[in-house]
Amino acid sequence: MGAEAGGRPCLTDFRAEGMIYALALRSPAARGSILSIRFPRLPSGYRAVLPADIPGQNRLVCFGAEFPVLAAERVSYAGEPVALIAGPDPLLLEELVAGSVVECEAEEPRLSWESFSSEQVAAKRVAVVGDPDLAFSIASVTREDSFTSGALEHYYSEPQGAAAAYDYDKMGIWCATQWPYHVRDSVALALGCKAEEVSVRPTRLGVHLDGKLWYPSLLACQAAVASVACSRPVKILLSREEDFLYTPKRARSSVSVRSALDPAGNLAAMDVRIALGIGAYGPLAEEIVSQAVLAATGAYSCPNLRVEGYAVKTDTVPSGAFGGLGASHSFFAVEAHANRLASLLGEDPIDWKSRNVLRKGSSLLTGEALREAVPYQAITERLAASSDFRRKYACYELVRKRRSGASDRPLRGIGLAFAYQGAGPFLSGDASNSYTVEATLDKELRLLLRTSAAASGGGVIEIWKRSAAAILGIEADKVSVAEPQTGEVPNSGPSTLSRNVTVVNRLVERACQAIQKRRFRDPLPLTARSLYRVPRPIRWEEGRVSGSPFDTAAWAGAVVELELDEWSLEPRPLGAWLCVDGGQVVSPERAASSLRSGMADALGSCLLERMECASPGSPGTEYFRYGLQSLRELPALEVEFLPAAKGAPVKGIGELPFDALPAAFLSALSQASGAALSRLPVPAAELIRALETS
Amino acid sequence: MNLSFILNGEDVSIRARTGDRLSDLLRDGFGLLGLQSDCRCGRCGRCLVFLDGELVPSCLLPAFRVRGCEIVTIEGFALTDEYHDILDGFAEARVETCGFCESGKIMAVGALLERKTRPSPDEILEQLSSVSCRCTDPVTMIAAVQAAAELRARRLYRRARQ
Repeated sequence: MGAEAGGRPCLTDFRAEGMIYALALRSPAARGSILSIRFPRLPSGYRAVLPADIPGQNRLVCFGAEFPVLAAERVSYAGEPVALIAGPDPLLLEELVAGSVVECEAEEPRLSWESFSSEQVAAKRVAVVGDPDLAFSIASVTREDSFTSGALEHYYSEPQGAAAAYDYDKMGIWCATQWPYHVRDSVALALGCKAEEVSVRPTRLGVHLDGKLWYPSLLACQAAVASVACSRPVKILLSREEDFLYTPKRARSSVSVRSALDPAGNLAAMDVRIALGIGAYGPLAEEIVSQAVLAATGAYSCPNLRVEGYAVKTDTVPSGAFGGLGASHSFFAVEAHANRLASLLGEDPIDWKSRNVLRKGSSLLTGEALREAVPYQAITERLAASSDFRRKYACYELVRKRRSGASDRPLRGIGLAFAYQGAGPFLSGDASNSYTVEATLDKELRLLLRTSAAASGGGVIEIWKRSAAAILGIEADKVSVAEPQTGEVPNSGPSTLSRNVTVVNRLVERACQAIQKRRFRDPLPLTARSLYRVPRPIRWEEGRVSGSPFDTAAWAGAVVELELDEWSLEPRPLGAWLCVDGGQVVSPERAASSLRSGMADALGSCLLERMECASPGSPGTEYFRYGLQSLRELPALEVEFLPAAKGAPVKGIGELPFDALPAAFLSALSQASGAALSRLPVPAAELIRALETS
Repeated sequence: MNLSFILNGEDVSIRARTGDRLSDLLRDGFGLLGLQSDCRCGRCGRCLVFLDGELVPSCLLPAFRVRGCEIVTIEGFALTDEYHDILDGFAEARVETCGFCESGKIMAVGALLERKTRPSPDEILEQLSSVSCRCTDPVTMIAAVQAAAELRARRLYRRARQ
């Protein structure tokens, strides 16, 4: 069976002879100590699995952060697993879990990430360029804005889960994961065995939005421990509601941006402070805060900068990645802020941004010169033409300025944002050195690619196949991708949306080029391995940062036009446009379709996807309130690609809708309401207040 | 309790518990894994079945409700020409789904084409809103359903002429 999408079975359908299920018993307190756990009388064939049953170490390691497989003494968020009950009937398990009592000595939970104590800081990044204090002191105009982003549910195709069963002499693990080798190493640590004694067989992943990076490893450890304790195959599959309440969400953020302008209205200095609420334990803390800080000034060039970023631990579910790892928080803030600067100066945002945007050779935050040209003009020209941005923006500005009261209609607005998706290795942790791909060309000229990144499946496999086929001069259908089972394929690191297209694709190309070089010299079959080396790793040293923030970047501009409903004041998008420079787009139709799905999701996050996840006592209703954007309420979604230059690389573009659309939406909403709004989605009551006071 | 009903054209009988949902009965009792029991609150649309010709989310139906009824799941629907029209329409428009929501989408489109020969884009999106998934691209889905409708109409026309 190949690794192509749909080729692998899903975990929901996984069955094994004698398989039982396990359900977690969860902490009722967000912070405190466990006093006791009381189980009801367990029927024959059912058993409780406690931290003491873990044969190896009760810890999971992720990017330097550590947390327990089952909390043994202290709990750090409401819903943290403290024990498991395993048995054959899932319905009875639900009853047994409901009849169990976890008694905790609760402490006051730390829920705020905007104001925090030093002990909550899991990672801190500071970068200073030039002399921002001096630049602010002599600036002719300054402006400060603050923005917040809430948590978002990944709503992936299948809830999180894992199954474990001994397969001869190995512990077999089945789960939908973006990082099979992390699952393997974590399970080996929990079982106290060698990594080679664990074999991970990734199941179908579907849409994940980077929500299945590390959490499957935790469930895999629990399933493996339960399997050893009960001597039976064990499956843990969270219900959609459990998944909603207790698995990672997008980190929440609070970003304040202060800018100083010179007499010509150009950026003279920026002071950005980013606080990211990453929940308990802080897996991915360093990565997320690094990505957010490096994107803090967006696509703009500024000679004097101060950027401070904090990853703040709170007593809520561990949070982090969502369609990227942190940059989208910064783009949201800096783009909305840039639009306000343009409005303050009475300029069209396209023109103001054009003067301040990065250019080839511009200095990045790391001090490194930008190696590629920024296609700002080409992108904004196309966007302006397709959305009629300039005319509409001027009209809506006029209407906004002349509005005499809250009852004046129509309430329309249009916003534009520009962003990039940098693709490269992870910036922190040891994952950056673990990208390897292997390729074998056999005597029948069939190529087999081996990479653990194939666990993601989907369209990226088509890109690898076409790249490989083009280099070797064979048909794309002669290229196959091996099942990404650990031990059978090399470790290609965590497979995120962008890295699969850029880093892994480049490794595929290099392996094929190596085969091509030897092909007419050495006999077939030929095997080549390619290993990724980080060119200049990012280093943070006392306010200075150096290194390459990304290998290559895809650029995009987005426009959103909306109006407020005459009676309910609910925002109703009228159109959304996205123009992308994605380098060489292998399958434009497929890429456009994928971007439109992303646009629909990004618009959903602006309109209705809102979760507080701060009130452990009342989670029940939130699950039923939260939903995806209905298709019938979506506006026309238009995607356009810039033609690629000859020899342009393939670039990751999947995160761009989440990077660009929210800021465009917020700017449009601010224009329509006449108020400087700071978060999305905006509740109707807040909009009414904003209209009355604007 | 014993339940007897028609499942995908066959008379079946099964023992069920009072709390069982139809989706669980179909998956666990009959091994029909084409439908998923995901949200268990009727929102995701991955467990859609035809109950006496009506499209319903099977996770919301108590199992006892189907006594004496006729149920068609995606496995049964796959035996019809209508299913193949939809599949061909999806292929023509190059629909790519995540692999989890596809059966729900096919069932939803099947129900739509049964009552509307040539649905408008709004009607298509309205119908597909009953299947909630992050992989959906509305533009491609409209093209796919329109292609399926065209194929269905042609097939029915050919059949009428024979």
